[in-house]
Amino acid sequence: MAPHTVDPITVEVVRNAVVAYADEMANVLCKSAYNMMIFEVRDYCCGLIDVRGRMISQNRGGLPIFLADLGVAVEDGVAKWGLEGFAEGDVLVMNHGHVCGQHLNNVVVYAPCFHQGRLIGFAANRAHWVDIGGGRQGFGSNATTEIYSEGLQMRSLKIYRAGEPDDTLFQIIRDNIRYPEASLGDLRAQIASCRMGARRYAELVGRYGLETVEAAVAIVWDQAERAVRAVVERIPDGTYVAESFLDNDGRNLDKPLRVKVTVRVEGSRFTVDFSEMNPQVPSPLNSGRSGGIAAARVAFKALTSPDLDVNEGCFKPLEVVLPEGTMLSARPPAALGQWSIALPTVIDTILKALAPAVPERVPAAHKGDMGGCSFFGFAPDGSRFLLMNIFGGGWGGRPHEDGESAAVSVCQGDVRNTPVELQEIKYPFLIERHALRPDSGGAGARRGGLGIALTYRCLAPCRGNVNFDRTVTPPWGLHGGGAGDISKAVIERADGRVETVFKATDVEFRPGDRITFLTAGGGGYGDPKARDRAALEADVALGLVTAQAAARDYGREAAGLG
Amino acid sequence: MNIVGVDIGGTFTDLVGHVDGRIVTSKTSTVPSDPTRGIADALRLAGCDPRALDEILHGSTVAINTVLERKGAPTALITTLGFRDVYAIGRSNRIEAFNLFFKRPQPLVPRDRTFEVDERVLAGGGVLTPLDDAAVEALLPALDAAGVKAVAVCLLHAYANPAHERRIGDILRRARPDLFVTLSHEILREYREYERTSTTVLNAYVGPRVGGYLRRLDGFLRDGAFAGQLRIMRSNGGVMSVALAQEQPVSMMESGPVAGMIGAGRLARLMGLPRCVGFDMGGTTAKASLITDGMPAIEAGYVIGDPASGQPMQLPVVDIVEVGAGGGSIAWVDDTGGLHVGPRSAGADPGPACYGKGADDPVVTDANLLLGRINPRRFLNGGMALDTAAAERAMRAKVGDRLGLDATAAAAGVVRIADTSMSLAVRAVSVDKGVDPRDTALIAFGGGGPLHAIAIAREIFVPTVIIPKLPGAFSALGMLMAAWRQDFVQTLIGRIGALAADGVEAVFAELAAAGRAQLARDGIAEGTADFRFLADLRYVGQEHAIPIPVEGVATLTGDAAVVRARFDAEHDRRYGQSAPSETLEVVALRLVLTAARGDTVAEDWLAQPWEAEGEMTVEERAVVFDDPRAPVPSRVHWRPSMPAGTVVTGPAVIEEPSSTILIHPGDRAEVAREGHLIVTLAGNGRG
Repeated sequence: MAPHTVDPITVEVVRNAVVAYADEMANVLCKSAYNMMIFEVRDYCCGLIDVRGRMISQNRGGLPIFLADLGVAVEDGVAKWGLEGFAEGDVLVMNHGHVCGQHLNNVVVYAPCFHQGRLIGFAANRAHWVDIGGGRQGFGSNATTEIYSEGLQMRSLKIYRAGEPDDTLFQIIRDNIRYPEASLGDLRAQIASCRMGARRYAELVGRYGLETVEAAVAIVWDQAERAVRAVVERIPDGTYVAESFLDNDGRNLDKPLRVKVTVRVEGSRFTVDFSEMNPQVPSPLNSGRSGGIAAARVAFKALTSPDLDVNEGCFKPLEVVLPEGTMLSARPPAALGQWSIALPTVIDTILKALAPAVPERVPAAHKGDMGGCSFFGFAPDGSRFLLMNIFGGGWGGRPHEDGESAAVSVCQGDVRNTPVELQEIKYPFLIERHALRPDSGGAGARRGGLGIALTYRCLAPCRGNVNFDRTVTPPWGLHGGGAGDISKAVIERADGRVETVFKATDVEFRPGDRITFLTAGGGGYGDPKARDRAALEADVALGLVTAQAAARDYGREAAGLG
Repeated sequence: MNIVGVDIGGTFTDLVGHVDGRIVTSKTSTVPSDPTRGIADALRLAGCDPRALDEILHGSTVAINTVLERKGAPTALITTLGFRDVYAIGRSNRIEAFNLFFKRPQPLVPRDRTFEVDERVLAGGGVLTPLDDAAVEALLPALDAAGVKAVAVCLLHAYANPAHERRIGDILRRARPDLFVTLSHEILREYREYERTSTTVLNAYVGPRVGGYLRRLDGFLRDGAFAGQLRIMRSNGGVMSVALAQEQPVSMMESGPVAGMIGAGRLARLMGLPRCVGFDMGGTTAKASLITDGMPAIEAGYVIGDPASGQPMQLPVVDIVEVGAGGGSIAWVDDTGGLHVGPRSAGADPGPACYGKGADDPVVTDANLLLGRINPRRFLNGGMALDTAAAERAMRAKVGDRLGLDATAAAAGVVRIADTSMSLAVRAVSVDKGVDPRDTALIAFGGGGPLHAIAIAREIFVPTVIIPKLPGAFSALGMLMAAWRQDFVQTLIGRIGALAADGVEAVFAELAAAGRAQLARDGIAEGTADFRFLADLRYVGQEHAIPIPVEGVATLTGDAAVVRARFDAEHDRRYGQSAPSETLEVVALRLVLTAARGDTVAEDWLAQPWEAEGEMTVEERAVVFDDPRAPVPSRVHWRPSMPAGTVVTGPAVIEEPSSTILIHPGDRAEVAREGHLIVTLAGNGRG
């Protein structure tokens, strides 16, 4: 059959419409959600998937690491139920650890989409539930060794069959998670989002015909692929290797984990090889394959096509070599609770490998962790609470400018910190400081950005998790720049004791205790001695670099001396 | 009732009035150094005696340009101890998710002009650390030393208890009466410290410049014995008094652009168009807004300037997308031979090369002149002769020679680039939102809108373009239709069913009192005002709330069934689901206070049958459409002389006093009964 031709107007309409629908799905989810992981952290993605599990479109502005990975979940459902096994009004839930490769909190919901009785695709979303049961709370816990202790698993289960809710499944969920009202509210938002996406896609197909829409989507993919290949071709061919380390797996604290990547560029082919990645670990610091693929994709996209909408075409030139059993491709029954923790460092390491080949495109290392805290306990009125916040840190110096300060990691995009006022309205804490952290940026001709200092004073007894990394290989500089300062948390007990913490699970806090999170700065770019003196003086005047650090790291001679 | 609307853009000052029963207009160059002179010229040209006017409505880009050009007052920020960097840290988000060289908002106040005071208010409004007056007074020398002209004060939880902000305000205003002081709770009584800080800083930053401007304007008009009301257009689509504008200049950020969209909405309603895009091309920028059922969309806030590096502003605003391409946008060639148009604009002075004021940068207007699209003898109704030779010299020197093109070919390239860039704004409000442009119409206005609209419509497949009467001054006309409007909000958190009636009563009373005070200050009779109360509601546990109309305290604290049903229905409409069994929570109470105009003269005029003047004349000249080597002989019409029902098929040019309409070959333009021009594009219909 001759390829279906589509006029260029229709291609443009389809290209923008399918992304707009995904954005609309995201808006429904975000605006009606019950937990900050969705409405502030935007720890979700929404999209349209074809019957073969390929991503037709994805919303803009969600988490970068959710890159075209909804398809795996849908494919599993298609394999389980068969293409004839779906009815209008079905809604499925899916979070199976080793199919999805992520922690169980990330629950995928999807709904089939029909045109004239024929299955034409799915609308799907994934959102982070505050709790999925199991032995851990919040994020940052390193207490698990197997997936079974991490909560409830649901593998492509129909929670609605032809529009009828499955009360049994609802009850199983309700009885096995800590915040059923919030999570069932989020589930309701996820379902509404999918129904809306499915309806919109059906309308589009109703208007232009399935053949036309699918042909237009294929043209959009081809265009994206061609554009990306052209960029890869301009990267010098070669094999590029880099290595860094994660501090430890959170349980065996003296054993760093190796992050080694090899990148091969041949013409328009770009291969990321994770063969020498650290093996999977007996802690939750593992991901399934989707974690490794996400890391490779984020790095690849940032290098080649940061402006293009996400679709299958963008990643055609990318090949990922990922043998089973590494910490990015863990075998069952590995725990996956901290699936994303390694990813910022993996991405930074891929970029570091490419730095000699494309120095103009690679900044120095960024703070390198996901930068979050969680506290849980009971409020004075007896209700259970869980406070989660995400915060930024420094990014690396760039070829022509300083790194940005206080920004979320490379794995997080339009992810926002939680306003101080909002946290104090909702939770029993007094926040005493939210400030930049002077001297945390790595010295360089282009300075690394600054981390932050955020101090909580506890007003009620509670527990919390601390989960920082990047102390063994701090955010490195490039081309002669210095490393950024490392992240840490300082606990000041009400009785005066002070302790410094990097990774700790279930830390107890009593009223009056304080904890300050100090996030890492970015690495410097280029020799600090070559830093523009006016820029250095401005840093000192603004208090971003202290006079001592300016003398020590930049060789500044203090005015008025001698 | 004699009323006049004056819109000062970056390049032109437009005036439309209804005086002694008829419409008067004028268009003149903006005088950036003294915009009041432009207003004086506009009034004089229109034959308006300020003494005879009852009301002047005014829109200006002065506030937004102050931010975009970063030419505001040196400003200081005072905040709570420990939170000096809230403004610099922002929300830590990266909207350019995959961009390793992403941008973040650039603060308007540097870190060394941000000061902390030791005080602390709690979320519930209680005071943890009292404010020490001496600590505030101790800041004065530092403020003096920094040479600041404005101070923004944003303390934690000031929305809940503004006492400390008020005290700081009192001290500063008493000690330094010349400082422009903005307190966050006076602008926005909602939690979220970063957005409130940014909005407060914006207000302080533009305050001195905008205030000075408004004082000069008011003084000038009073000197001319104007005894009526001066009102200022604001971003929410309404108008306000000049006194309020001086206190809250941040609310006039979109002062210029919104009025045209209000006018386009009225026209859309009149013509029965459920969905259209308002397109406004001025001298400096082009703007687009999606208009549904006669109303441009209103957003709860937006980012001023670049979406990644601009300034968040958390006040209601008409949703407008703007691109830096207008008639005065400068064409330039980069080192690699790439041709660009804008965002730099020649403005009114020196203006385009063809103004003959010595400018040597070619702009879009020069290109149009060289392509034969505008008439050098009829520009500004013959008020300004254009110098074609100067335009040609500039186009050749700055573009043509560098690209190996003659002036005409260079001009054609410049126009094509500008059209593409402007079409992005129209796309952003239509295609990008999943709206098929083939289901819409473009309502085009502004000096350059009618000249470019049809090419833009063709580019993105809009089938119909409507050029209203008075397109060149349509924004000023829109002002004559805008209601007085002020939005009030106050945070109040509590569950429906457990809300204390007296607490709710107190907030309603406070909002109503603030509203009444504002009405009194603006001389509006309370009886003519419409008090509309809303409650921001959500299900317990949600974050985002939806404003729902409420009639009074009892509808929240007594039997809340009506409000409950409204919320469930609205939640279902927006998000496709509702949870009628879940508990509802109030987050904030709002008051939208409007006072409609007492007259409908402008709307009536829009709907009034068209009467052509004089005999229809047709001239001919060669116009370049696509191929610069093959100008097309085109008929040139004079719009005021074209009776209703006249049909013109392109290639043609339709000229009128303040604008030129280009009809491309094959397109069909018809004068509607009311005089609006309806252009049907060949080949853009639904096939």
